[in-house]
Order: sequence, then C-alpha cells, then structure tokens
Amino acid sequence: MATTMKKRTVVICGGGLTAGLIARQLTAKNVDVLVLERGYDHTRAAEAKLPNQRDELRWATHAGLAQDWAVQTYTLRHGRNETALPVRRMEAFLPGEGMGGAANHWNGQTWRWAEYDPTLRTRLEGRYGRKAIPADMPIQDWGVTYGEMESYHDLFERLFGIAGKAGNLRGQIQAGGNPFEGPRQNEYPQPPLETTEAGVIFTRAAENLGYKPFPMAAANSPNAYTNPDGMKLGQCQYCGHCERFICEASAKGSPEVLLFPMLLKRPSFELRLRCHVLEVEYDRQAKRVRGVRYVDLMTGEEYEQPADIVVLASFTMSNTKYLLMSGIGQPYDPTNGSGVVGKNFCHQMMSGVNVFFKDRWINPFLASGASQTCVDEFNEDNFDHTGLGFFGGGYIYSNVTNGRPIASRLVPPGTPAWGSSWKQANADWYAHSFAITAHGSWYPHRENYLDLDPTYTDAYGQPLVRMTMDIRDNERRMSEYCTQRAEEIAKGTGATIVASGTPRRGPYDSRVYQTTHVTGGTIMGADPGTSVVSPHSQHWDAQNLFVVGASVYPFNAGYNPTGPLGALALRLGDDMVRYIDRPQIL
Amino acid sequence: MSTNSTDEGLLTGRRLFLRQVATLAGSASLAPKVIGAAAVAAGSAIAAPASAQPAGAPIASAPAFGYESLGPDEASFVEAMVNVMCPADNLTPNGVDCGLAVFIDRQLAGGFGTGDRLYMRGPWKQGKPQLGYQLPLTPDQFFKAGVAAANAACRGRFDKDFDQLEPADADAFLRDLAGGKISDIRVPLGQWFNELVYPLFTQACFADPMYGGNNGKVFWKMIGYPGLPATHTRDMVNFRGKPYPGAKDPKAIQDFS
Repeated sequence: MATTMKKRTVVICGGGLTAGLIARQLTAKNVDVLVLERGYDHTRAAEAKLPNQRDELRWATHAGLAQDWAVQTYTLRHGRNETALPVRRMEAFLPGEGMGGAANHWNGQTWRWAEYDPTLRTRLEGRYGRKAIPADMPIQDWGVTYGEMESYHDLFERLFGIAGKAGNLRGQIQAGGNPFEGPRQNEYPQPPLETTEAGVIFTRAAENLGYKPFPMAAANSPNAYTNPDGMKLGQCQYCGHCERFICEASAKGSPEVLLFPMLLKRPSFELRLRCHVLEVEYDRQAKRVRGVRYVDLMTGEEYEQPADIVVLASFTMSNTKYLLMSGIGQPYDPTNGSGVVGKNFCHQMMSGVNVFFKDRWINPFLASGASQTCVDEFNEDNFDHTGLGFFGGGYIYSNVTNGRPIASRLVPPGTPAWGSSWKQANADWYAHSFAITAHGSWYPHRENYLDLDPTYTDAYGQPLVRMTMDIRDNERRMSEYCTQRAEEIAKGTGATIVASGTPRRGPYDSRVYQTTHVTGGTIMGADPGTSVVSPHSQHWDAQNLFVVGASVYPFNAGYNPTGPLGALALRLGDDMVRYIDRPQIL
Repeated sequence: MSTNSTDEGLLTGRRLFLRQVATLAGSASLAPKVIGAAAVAAGSAIAAPASAQPAGAPIASAPAFGYESLGPDEASFVEAMVNVMCPADNLTPNGVDCGLAVFIDRQLAGGFGTGDRLYMRGPWKQGKPQLGYQLPLTPDQFFKAGVAAANAACRGRFDKDFDQLEPADADAFLRDLAGGKISDIRVPLGQWFNELVYPLFTQACFADPMYGGNNGKVFWKMIGYPGLPATHTRDMVNFRGKPYPGAKDPKAIQDFS
C-alpha cells in the first residue's frame, strides 16, 4: 500500500531541461513546485570532475550517463506484422538520468527551427498544393507560431549563454549568419566559438558552391558568462568531451549548472531525486489528474503524491508511456489513423562523407560539441522540393566535435580492420580527417508509432514502450539527396581522399547512434482530434495535466530540438502561472 | 605512471612460471603456442628488435596479477588473437604487450562482462540483426561460448586450436569470422566477432590505459591523441591547422590521479 504524501501545487515528472525551465518561471512567482527525478545529482561525482570526466570508455562507449537499459528499455519492430524484441542495449539514442537529464550530456548544438516549422503543413500545402503531401505523412501545424515563441527563444538563449552569429535581425539578413534563420529581435548573447580547421576548409568549399556557411549556435560558452539570473558559465576548453559527458568546466549551458543550483535555493522548490514515477492518477469522469504514483529508489517503497497540477517533463518515450499507462487520451491506432497517443514517432537521419587531407592538420581533439560550421541551404523547406519526391532535408556541416580515440578515428575506404596496415592508416589519418555530415529531418509516417509492448516488462513490472518504426521512402530519398549535396562540398575541399557518401537507407538499426532526438508520441496541435496537447501544452483530456518536451513535436526537423524545447518550456511556465490564477483550458 | 621495472619483473616471472609449468607438466593445453611464444619473445624488452619499439616508447607492461576472468585456454586464444590483430611492428609492440588481452579480461570480469546496463529479461527470441543482441548470456558468457565455438571451428578446418595456427592462417581465420563465413550450430560467430570481440579489441587499443590496455599510451602516441587534461582554449587558436606538440607525449588519467 502506497504512502500518501502531502499535496503539492505542481508536480513535475522528470528533472531535466524542461523541468528546470518551467520551475524557473513558476518559483519566480512563489508557486510550490516538486520535481520527481529518477536519477541522482552528478555534479560532484566522477563524471563531472577531472581526471575521470575524460574517460571515453566509461561515459561514451558504455554511455554511463544514459538510461540504465537493465531497468528499462524499449522494444522495436519494423512493421506491425512483426514481433517486437527488446533492444537490450540501446545505441541509437541516449536518454539521460539524473538532475539535468539528457541536457547534461548534450553537445550544445542550439537551433531555433525555421520560421515556417511550427506551420509546416500550411507551408507545404501553400507551396506545393494540398495534394502534394502524401496521405501516409500525417504532418501537422503546432498551433503556435514562431513569432509567439520568439521572445522565449531569446530568453532561453540569454539564460544558456548561447554563442552564435545572427543571420536575420528583425528581418535584415546578416552577413556571416544563417540567412535561413527566422527573424530574431536580438543578436546571440555571446559571439561564436572559434572555428575548427575543418570549419576553415568547409567554409571555403561551401562558399565556392555559392552557399552561405556560418558558425553553429552553441551552448558551449566561448567566454566566462553570467546569465540574467546571475548564474555563471565557465569558459569552454575545447576538450572534445561534450556529448555523452558532463562539462567539468561548467562551460556547457546545462540545467545542472544554470537552473537547479538556483532553484534549490528558492523556498517554493523541491527536487526529490531517485524517485521513479510509475503513473499519473487520472479521474476519467472529472477529466482531471489527481497526482502521481512513484517508487522511492532508495527504499523501494511506493508513494502517492497528490498535486493540483502535473507536468510530464520526461524524455519523449517516458512522456508517452505515462499517458498510455495511465489511460489518458486515446491511443493511436495505425489501422485506421484514429487516436493520438503514440502517434508521429520520429527520429533523425544522419549521413555523410569522410574526407582525408595528407597535408592539413585537422586535430579533431581541438573541438567542442558545437564548434562547427554549417550550411542551411538544404534543410527542410529552405529549397524547392518540386519533383524531388520527398519533403524535408538537413543542415550540412563540418562534423568535428571531438577526437576521442575509441570512436572518432576515420580511416580511408579499403583499410583492413586490424593488423599493421590498419595501425598505419590510423597513424596516418587520425589527425588529418573529418566527416562532412548531413543532419537530416524525419517526417512522420502513419506506420511509425509508439504503444505498450504486450510481452516485455521493465524492472517495475510495467510494459516497455514498443517502437514500431522504420526508415520509409520519404526519409530514404531525403538522405540520398542531402548526402549527394555533402559529397559535392567534400569534393570541393581539395581532400586527398574523398570517401563515398553513406546515405542512411535502413532498416532502422538500434545498434547505430543517430541523434538523441526522438520526437512525437504526445504531439501538439490546435485540433483535439489529431493532437494530445493543445498549443499551450495542455492535455485535451485533463486540463490540469501538461506535457512538455520533444514528445510534443508533430514531426522532427533537420535541426537539433533543444531551442524550441527551451522556448516551449519557458512559455509553458508562464502559461501555468496564468492557469494557477484561473484554471481553465488555456 | 603505469610502467615500471617492477611490473616488467612480474611479467617476466609470470611468463617464466607458465612456461616452466608447461614444460614440467607436458600438458598440451599449457604448452607454449606458436603465436603465444612469439609474443613472449617479441614482448620482452630485451628480445624485441630495436626496430619494434618506437623511439622513446616506454617498455610495455602486462598483467601483474594474472587474469580475472579468462581460463588458460581462453587466455591463449585471446593472446593469440590480439597478437594477430596487433602484430609487433614499427608502431607498437604486439597486442599482448600492449595490454590488449588484459583489457579484454578485465572488461569481461567487470560490470560490462557481467551484464551491467544490459536488459536481461525474457522471453528470449532471435530476431533481425537491427534489433541487436538477443541471447540470454552475459557478455562474459557469450565471449567464452564464442571462444569455444571458434576453437572448434578451427580444429575442424586446421586440426588445431586457434592459438596454434601460423599467424597468416590465424589472420585469415579471423577475417572469415568477421565475414560471417565461420558457422557454428549454436553460437552466432559473425555477430560474436563483430559486435563483441572487435569492439573490445579497439577499446583495448584506445581506451585510457588505466583499464589495462593501451600500455604506455602507445596507441595514443601512434595516432597523436594528446589525452588529458585537454584544456585547449588557447590551443584551439594557436594550433589550428598545425601539428599539436602535446600529441607526442599524451597524458592519461593516471597522470592526474
């Protein structure tokens, strides 16, 4: 029998980026907030301190900061006619655990999505006609516009000290920035990171093709930085230990540096670590949630935590699971397209081409997670798709984030996998090579979705989330096209060796890392018939339940997801202050 | 530093002990093996030709305390394999002397080998390769089942255990394993080699030396990875497009502990 705890105003499930941002807005107004997080505080542990922070085997190869798959994983099948099996050690994406969540171990690559992204269906129908979007691609608008989110993007960038060069200031295109960027009110709060040697090479090749290269916006702080809350970032060391690592120099904009230390001093805030939420308690008649049930991982005992408001701020997969476990909203049914929970599950499409330079020192270990140079000409609808047979695209960039030697060694095609010539190739090319990569979108497909697995359970006895997904024709064609564009740039670099491009073809493979950007399952929209949450992130079937995170994206862009995630979370924090004042459908 | 004369003395002692035992017992399984014996000779700082050591390279050290997980036959297999995959040459000493067998042993004995962070609930069923590993064995158990199956396949083809093959035959056998051309009724040997053994091999070469491989940071020196502390704020500008001096003298976790 679970022990019942004292009722709280707001209970947030998951203690990552979005929870920290929502709590910042709420506790500034003295709203009582409790965050339940399954993991622990990493900030004083080996992963956050020299020398052990620099341990590639522990944190990168074994993904020591990611979700413990022995406790909870996902099952996978490529189609409804197959039996899903559990992914016993997931490599394709890496949910986080602990205070700060996956935003502890992110690279810091920070994008606002395109101005048209929140209204993508409208955009594509307007440009290509209503019939151009395939029937099996249930892409939809978010119900919120870029303009409505802009001030929150701006706030998120100031809070996280984002380093970059504006490409579009209040409608004026800026030299050196991304000309495809949506209009910004302000320049980035910090100047761009230093350019890598790979970026220098990439810039020239891209300019020769008529493209407009620019520095990726980064949450790796080029200087010591104090944000509007008085929270401080250290200076980036270009150490090449960002993604899969916690920054020991506190130089990566992350919740455990910028948000939780501040929140923990606020009287209306409580963070309860090592508490795993099992389900949301739902009153179907009243269409309200009563609170959550969780297990204290220090004792194994269960608790009921009543709340006026519950926020699901967990990873994409967990947000969806809570709704399915708790019976809130209608599960998606791919046979007839009805229902919404689990719908539009998407990932991303990474592909590229390796380049090798006999006489250039790339020094891949001199890099940070976002010290990259990009072109945005072939992302999403930045180019004309007429006659191409697909929608979507990706940014193309000089992909040097680290020189960690277990994983980040490139050798020319035809190199044997071991032996003296393998060693010689590593010796010859390690410091002289990099990848030109396309970071591609993934648009929804009617047959790609999440539900609960009928067979496999987690350590708490609950069903695993089942992924039914594969790389469909639209994404294959997109990857083919963007990889060809990357190859053209590669051939213009003057490289000694240009390898063949490797477009992503499928089948979807759990063994190969893509990005940690899985999206959908609790998608947002203006129509309750086709969305789980409203444009204000409020659940249509329980007005005191809010869902935030990449699970609300109706599709996945060719951009990294963190920018809109931050903007939507800050906006939700403000919306919730209004809701507490006057509870209603927002 | 990981390397010192005491370690070297222990190595020599252990090797001598094993060879003496083998000689006294006359046991086939403990007899010096073709590749293993070559490894011992080449790995000794005294016996190694001068050209086998890069200038200024430290003397390779090896297990001071024996294997934790591998039994003698398994150790022979692993030692023979890492010496084929990493022969002594002008870049590094042989695989055993680089610590690669010790690394693999320690990984199998530790959390990784015993199934840390690996979902181990049934029902068990084999599926498409993209769904990943689906055997009810810990990595340590799978590794050893694979060694036994590979040795059995080796006996079928050559009438010898793997560690008794000539290096060229051993190399060809490993390539056939990687190519999925060696089959066993019960053990998926292609998957075993490509998804368990080979990653352990590259990790052994390039992980921090504190895990037992990459002795003397020899692989980091080989490629020019400078290691720790990696505080490169100024280097980023000063050495953009230029050789980085620290790459010749990498530092590892032990250097800062």
